[in-house]
Amino acid sequence: MTDKNSDKGYIAIFGWSLRCIDALEKFDRRYVIVAPAWAEAYAVEHDIPFVAWDFERLNDRSFELATTLDDMGVDVAIPLFEETVEWAGAVNSVLMKNPRLLGQSMLFRDKSLMKRRAQLGGIRVGIFEEAMDQTDVIRFLRRVNQTLLKLDGDPNDPIHFKAFDKAGCLGHRVIRTADDVASISDDEFPALLESHLDGWEFAVEAWIKDGKIQFLNISEYVTLGYSVFVPATPELEKWRGRITQEIEKLIDVFDIDFGFIHPEYFVTSDGTMYFGEVAYRPPGFNVFELLERSYGFNAYQALVLVFDPKTTQEELDAFFPTPVADAKGHAGCFGVYPRRRVVSNLEIPAATENHAYFDFHELAPPHAQKVTKRTAFGTHWGLVYFFGEDAVEMRDLLKAQEELDYYL
Amino acid sequence: MVDAEMTDSKNPAANLGMLLDRLDRQVTHLDSASRIGKTDHAIRVLDVARRVLLHEDGLPALRERAGTMDKAGLFSGTDWGHPANLLPGLVKHTLTYAPAPTITLEAISLLRFVAVASGEYAHPTLPPAQAEHFLTQVLALNLDRLLGQGADEARRNADGPLTPAIDRLMQYVMQEIGTEGILDHLIDEIWRIMAQRPLQVDHVKAMIVQIAQALQSGNAKAADAHRGADRLISALFGPSTLSRDDPGIAAYVDRLSRADARTVQDEAYAMARAMHDTGLVSDYHATYLRWALEADHATMLPDALGLSSTGLDALRCYEPLVRALVDAAIQPGTTQAVYGLSLMLERGILYSPPIAPSLWRLLETPLSGDGIAALEASCGTALPARTHLVAGIIMLLGQPLGVGQGNNPTCQSARALSLWALNDPDYLLWLVAQVSRGNGLILHFEGEPLDTGTLPPGLAVSTLLDADPVSVLLVPHLDRAYAEMGRRCAGRPEDPHRWINPELHGWWVGRDFHIAVDVATGALKDYEGFLRHFHASYHPQHNGNQPVIHPQPAGIAVTDSKGTFVGWHAITLIRVGLDPAERMRVYFFNPNNDSGQDWGHGIVVSTHGCGERFGEGSLPFEDFAARLYLFHDDGLSPLAPAPVPDGQITDIAEKGRKSWAAGRADL
Repeated sequence: MTDKNSDKGYIAIFGWSLRCIDALEKFDRRYVIVAPAWAEAYAVEHDIPFVAWDFERLNDRSFELATTLDDMGVDVAIPLFEETVEWAGAVNSVLMKNPRLLGQSMLFRDKSLMKRRAQLGGIRVGIFEEAMDQTDVIRFLRRVNQTLLKLDGDPNDPIHFKAFDKAGCLGHRVIRTADDVASISDDEFPALLESHLDGWEFAVEAWIKDGKIQFLNISEYVTLGYSVFVPATPELEKWRGRITQEIEKLIDVFDIDFGFIHPEYFVTSDGTMYFGEVAYRPPGFNVFELLERSYGFNAYQALVLVFDPKTTQEELDAFFPTPVADAKGHAGCFGVYPRRRVVSNLEIPAATENHAYFDFHELAPPHAQKVTKRTAFGTHWGLVYFFGEDAVEMRDLLKAQEELDYYL
Repeated sequence: MVDAEMTDSKNPAANLGMLLDRLDRQVTHLDSASRIGKTDHAIRVLDVARRVLLHEDGLPALRERAGTMDKAGLFSGTDWGHPANLLPGLVKHTLTYAPAPTITLEAISLLRFVAVASGEYAHPTLPPAQAEHFLTQVLALNLDRLLGQGADEARRNADGPLTPAIDRLMQYVMQEIGTEGILDHLIDEIWRIMAQRPLQVDHVKAMIVQIAQALQSGNAKAADAHRGADRLISALFGPSTLSRDDPGIAAYVDRLSRADARTVQDEAYAMARAMHDTGLVSDYHATYLRWALEADHATMLPDALGLSSTGLDALRCYEPLVRALVDAAIQPGTTQAVYGLSLMLERGILYSPPIAPSLWRLLETPLSGDGIAALEASCGTALPARTHLVAGIIMLLGQPLGVGQGNNPTCQSARALSLWALNDPDYLLWLVAQVSRGNGLILHFEGEPLDTGTLPPGLAVSTLLDADPVSVLLVPHLDRAYAEMGRRCAGRPEDPHRWINPELHGWWVGRDFHIAVDVATGALKDYEGFLRHFHASYHPQHNGNQPVIHPQPAGIAVTDSKGTFVGWHAITLIRVGLDPAERMRVYFFNPNNDSGQDWGHGIVVSTHGCGERFGEGSLPFEDFAARLYLFHDDGLSPLAPAPVPDGQITDIAEKGRKSWAAGRADL
């Protein structure tokens, strides 16, 4: 374990992630993990500083948590998961005596509020609407396609259906027909509806300190919900200047002084950029792992640096590499879904395993033989990691994985 | 592009380089991971290492890195983190049945032992000599992989994609450690196993073949450097003057037919001596017996069987039966039955009125189709199934303590066969007669008939393949009957063995029943009282000097070499008496294939040298008592004609509480 520096901040991590704890163990900041009680036994056994907390309960005890942490001398709370974002906002507003932080976090938690705020700030967003039930979805689907001058019988342009408050691809459905609508259950409402934009979808990870971008990464999606790699291809990276401006707009509109954001955008063929959504927590799909592979810095430690009020600009300058230029190669990962209805074996395709870019995988052998039918994105069975020199080859390789069977 | 990479992968050298780069990188990550991240990274290391292991030239590269991987923490948090505590006996099972990452971990661990043994890597708790010794034992126990043949059906079923790699690993370890070390060890091991006189000796014979080849190949020192090797090899391949040069069956018969009377006589002596010395029977011995009977040299029979005056008398009284048995059962493929026949005659059981007629019935009873199929699956089709069955019965009756459960969870059934062969042989023959005719046994439980042909399977889920012929026929049925008796006892307030043991085995199992554990809670139940009762029932100095009359089923809480509880196990208590060192010992039968087990805290079961008869295991009375949890008693000995000193009970109870009973509450 790295020796802790008591002149630097004392941070609280909201959420349980062994990767994050591993990073903290190797870093000089004092830390405490705030996570549900099921993790306590492990934490005690491994001497991990721990406060048990149930984030699913209502917010009315956040002050109690804030006081506990304040008494311990904690300087700042860092959310790891979507569910912990407003908890961190609430606690930080107490720890840092800045009530605005709670309101800000609420914006990040509600996809609809978030879009309106972005729109008010002059950021271009697609057409969107809140849906309370299935009829709202049907109406939106019809309206969008009428706008596009479709005739009855023409195939619909899809719309996107997203749960209000879930992370990333969870609860994200693509809706094309009324049948698709019928498969949505009542408990998935309320939800956000968005028009589909034909274009290049990508995500950004930005570490912010003192209202300034400290490091900006562009993650290129090969296919949404399947694969991502960093740094992006040169074709996408050529938009870096424009993208940086967009992120600065976000910082401005959402009044972000410090922290980490993970927004998603579309860029259409004419170069128009549409804002999708933004999260105030690490992205899923292990982009952090990819960044470490590509640049060599630990993205969790970076997270701690930008949240810690006692971090200096010199520290940040020394920590972060120069985007793209300092990357040792492209790192990508692919989320595996079984393609068959009944599977019994995990078998990495030989073409994948023997590829020079193949790095490692985190797939487990199947537990159940029957594969549940997939209705929404976001339930892959594990990730396969790749690393290599060439961005285009990486993209094609990730695309090729979609046609391969990992589970037989 | 993916295709292009595939062609690349056909260049194995380039491929290995790439894999090793990946491996080295993952090992570096593992090394720098905090204690929290170790597992995550270890799994990645194992995945790449598995691919290196699969590569034909991967072993030296893995061995080179074994020390680095060890230091990086690959083994920490697992049993392999304490290499000095690893048990060579577990390696085989892991390498055969474990999931791929565990097999890989075991393989890297073995290569780590190679590195330690050769001095390339120093491990703080593993001296080089111990590493080498460990590998020697592993090799001896995995000879089937070295032989590259004789994989039994069970292993064939378990074969996974790593099998060739593991076979290669064993070859590599042997090449690095040398055959020298394993030959001596192997020879000792064979003598140790043979001292227990098992019925199943195929694996022993395979090992001896391997030794003979190693000695002949000139890689090893001269045969006399390996004490005992020559005796084993000659017992199988040249036990007598005429067979000394292993001439082949036909040539041997030819030599016999031209030999003079003195030579024929000497052959008989030599054959018998080799057999009784080792417990192994040469194919020439079976040939000799058949030849002697056909060529009208029946007078040679007693000498060829090595009979004492008891055996000789039995032979004279039942000569037509013995000749019929030899004719039906003794062939070069069933040659071990010669030894069984000799010992059966020596036991004098033929004098018991029902035995001889039962054996005649056996010789006349045709086998049912199911029986033939089961025996052919297990013994092959080179000889008729009936030959194997008759040979199997002769062996079991000759060596009741030679039966083993194989790799099957059926200790109860194997023990039952042994008990009957020892104590109730005509009942055993009755069961065989039943099962030969139909496909099932009718057993009775508390007056109710149980038809095993219609009962669901018990613990043995697959066909028994690694067992003796009688077990192959009977165990599936006994196993079902045992399971059904268990079901019928469900809900009774005590351990079901209280009722099952006497009902399954016979009236001679004591109806008084003592158990140290409360079945419902697993807690200890008057443990000290239990131990007092055990003394009063079985300790000659505390029970009025009563011997054990009938062998009694008993239950052992088996512990591993660290004294940790492993499970409940059925054994037979055979006798209690003073050993050559005047120490009171319990002599018992363990249906495991090898009784010589280390039960931890210094309790190591002895199999020879402490007054054991063939097939018995033994422990000092108090050590045995410290692992006992269940026994039966005839109810004739009231508590303590001679009271047991409190200190003795406390000492034993403490040994039990520190080992198998650790963590059990007292009721």
